[in-house]
Amino acid sequence: MNLNQQEPIIEIHGLTFRYPGATDDVLRDVSLTIARGDFIAIAGGNGSGKSTLCKCLNGLIPNYYVGDFSGSLLINGAPAHEQTVSSLSRQVAYVFQDFENQLVRPSVYDEACFAPLNYGYADYRERGERALQLLGLTHLRDKWIWELSGGQKHMVALAGALSLDPDVIVVDEPVAQLDPFHARLIYDKLRILNEVHGKTIIVIEHHTEFIAEYGNTMLLMDRGRIRWVKPVREALNAISELGELHIEPPQVTEAFHRLRERTTPTTQDSPASSRPLYPVTLAQAADWLDDLSLGKDRYQPDHSNSGDDVSSRDKQTHELPQEADSRSGRQPLVRFEQVTYGYKDMARTTAPVLRGVNLTLYEGDRIALIGNNGAGKSTLMRLISGIRKPQQGRVTVCGQITRAVSPEELSDDVAFIFQNPEEMFIEDSIRKDVEYFLKARRIPDYEAFIEDIMVRFRLKELEQRDGRLMSGGQQRRATLAIGLAMRPKIMLLDEPTASLDLASRREMTELLDRLQDRVQTVIVATHDMQLVADWANRVIVMHNGQVALDTDGRTVFECAPLLEQAGLIPPQIVRLSHMAGISPVCLTVEELVARLIERSCKEETAIGSC
Amino acid sequence: MEAVKPSFWDKLSVEQIKIELMRTAYGHANTFLSRFDPRVLVIWYAFFAIAPWFIFNKTVLLGMLALMVVLTYTSRVSTLVLVILAVGLVSDVGYMLFVSFFFGGSLDAIWSLSTLTLKLLVISLASIAVFASMDPEKFSDAMLSLGMPAQFSFGISYGYRMLPILIEEYNNLIYSYRLRGRTPRNKGLLKWRYLVYMGKITVIAFYPLILNTAKRTRTTVEALEVKGFTYAMTSSQAKKLKLAYLRIERHDYLFIAVSVLFVAALFTLGRIFPL
Repeated sequence: MNLNQQEPIIEIHGLTFRYPGATDDVLRDVSLTIARGDFIAIAGGNGSGKSTLCKCLNGLIPNYYVGDFSGSLLINGAPAHEQTVSSLSRQVAYVFQDFENQLVRPSVYDEACFAPLNYGYADYRERGERALQLLGLTHLRDKWIWELSGGQKHMVALAGALSLDPDVIVVDEPVAQLDPFHARLIYDKLRILNEVHGKTIIVIEHHTEFIAEYGNTMLLMDRGRIRWVKPVREALNAISELGELHIEPPQVTEAFHRLRERTTPTTQDSPASSRPLYPVTLAQAADWLDDLSLGKDRYQPDHSNSGDDVSSRDKQTHELPQEADSRSGRQPLVRFEQVTYGYKDMARTTAPVLRGVNLTLYEGDRIALIGNNGAGKSTLMRLISGIRKPQQGRVTVCGQITRAVSPEELSDDVAFIFQNPEEMFIEDSIRKDVEYFLKARRIPDYEAFIEDIMVRFRLKELEQRDGRLMSGGQQRRATLAIGLAMRPKIMLLDEPTASLDLASRREMTELLDRLQDRVQTVIVATHDMQLVADWANRVIVMHNGQVALDTDGRTVFECAPLLEQAGLIPPQIVRLSHMAGISPVCLTVEELVARLIERSCKEETAIGSC
Repeated sequence: MEAVKPSFWDKLSVEQIKIELMRTAYGHANTFLSRFDPRVLVIWYAFFAIAPWFIFNKTVLLGMLALMVVLTYTSRVSTLVLVILAVGLVSDVGYMLFVSFFFGGSLDAIWSLSTLTLKLLVISLASIAVFASMDPEKFSDAMLSLGMPAQFSFGISYGYRMLPILIEEYNNLIYSYRLRGRTPRNKGLLKWRYLVYMGKITVIAFYPLILNTAKRTRTTVEALEVKGFTYAMTSSQAKKLKLAYLRIERHDYLFIAVSVLFVAALFTLGRIFPL
């Protein structure tokens, strides 16, 4: 971090750019200096010009995308417009958000060597090897790209960028398509590259939790302009300004902000500079908790406990979730009996994905299915939808044994929303896609019903558009509408909030909330722990092809060791309540604030303003 | 019938076909043929893919067939590929039998028509043996070395790299149709309605696949630019480095020599004992 004072590596003055054929400037009069060795996070809403700015750094703009370009751009002190994409790419590496399609070679090793080979480095093999080693990927060296998981693919893309030994590494939204656990792995590597190897790191990111923990400087963009560049902690304390641009500050910051607003109402009058900066990471929050004297002395970590111990302890201390008691009265909709399923791999051996799963899902369940990649979540959903049949055991859906009926017949009761929306757009307009199911069944007079759905999901203006050409949030809304138009009893959603920005994510949660009056049970496979906390009334943790835990949203986050084992990270607010020693844990910021005030009042602590 | 069908489809799932395909393409590092330089194999293959068309001597063709059978065996080809070949062969012979009897011919006609079958068999087995032993990477390098343009040889390896992804996406698209569609209530005689329904979605699922692929290409093209692919096409350095590992050694010459001798012997034999 002390490298910060060194000479600038990137200097931009008055940069304005417009894509060919576009009517508006994407970048307007951008001036920016990035110091060598900085770790800078670029945040901003969709269409604010983040990606475009980064594409200027490696020369794709204006050398590859020739548009209206003005202003000056110096990289390593040399003007960028006098250089080619190929010479700039060797200094500034770019990792695209879409990690699947930037990998162009069949094997991991080939991919890592590809760029240095193209640029004619005689030591291209060593360069590739070194990049793999730097990221701890040597064990994947001989794997084929299609055998890798999403997180591994992202790492390989980073290795490909590193192989040229660039000074600057630009990573476009590393978190968007990864679960938090794998996102952290990427960020940990970026931190090492930054601190140990002195690389300048630029990430496009709107998950402020990651910015807070890993970033050094934050840059806020708004409609093609730079609003400000500030040190991270100061930047994330600009809570109302971030809110305007639909960027949520970290939950800890939010919590202490609200706490302070409640307990010392005078703050609003005093200028922001006079108040101390709120914490932005959990580590900083610990000090604040100490100040509130609610802190560490009260916090008794029990990491030695295994998952089972914790859940049994929970049963003693809390009441059982109500759902468990009332289940007997409700209609079972899906039943898994000793279900086993496996996929064959390249060596023709069957890798088990589900191993003897027993599970019953009831009417009224809002189920979050969680677990790391490969834990069997998607397979479980595919078995319910009937597009996979169990190899052993039996799956019963709405009284039908799936083995005996076709997926078409099951789809009268089950709607399955795929993870990738593009795989659900089989017609050339959204309207036709939503109608498809009813049309295929020759159901008369469906227009009014469809109209209602289009309005409800705010798709009326978009209904003639091809689904592929819409934004991520619109695509998700459209797939949900397609599912609901099937009038299902059971709705399955695979990662409905993946790669969405926070505004679209919140919208999605609201829509899921409203599904309940139309659908009997909803099952969501997700990595989004905030969604689990906000929405689910039943949480099923999958681990190694088995159900590791089946409980409610609050209890699941008490089982820290089990979550850790399953590669899951609870929302920050849950971790904060752990730190504050609050049990049962809080699932929302509001809840935590209320609990903290309650406690500080009881104990008449230093705040003393209750 | 309904209960049995899914288990049959389970076995012949798209997943399975994908794995077999990738195994055939990349799976074998150590077969007899894989030891030779890919350029030698390409030239060797070119001979056995073209020459049979001009040979009408069954002795020669049978001799070639014997060679191909042995080589195919050493290449450990997947059963699926062989089954597909066998299905083609059986239907071919069956159709010739039918045609020849229909037009009042006798088994003699089959004997003369079988020349064509023999030719096809030699060529198909040669293709299977060579391409099962040589992964697309080596094939692409061989083509580059033999003077094909860089885009062409890159296309071969990139095509294979994308294949599993495309197959998976196609599979999911098919399921999109099936999970929202409706099988005909009345399946019809021999399920013909059902077969038409499946056939139709098999074809129309290609449209969304093509559109999705087209949309994703932007990232690929930018990535190629950044990774210096276009730069490499103008500098000879990259090509030289990339192909440096290709070397024709003594066993390659030996392989060519033995093959030439074998073919010469076959022709001599064919002249003495023509079938």
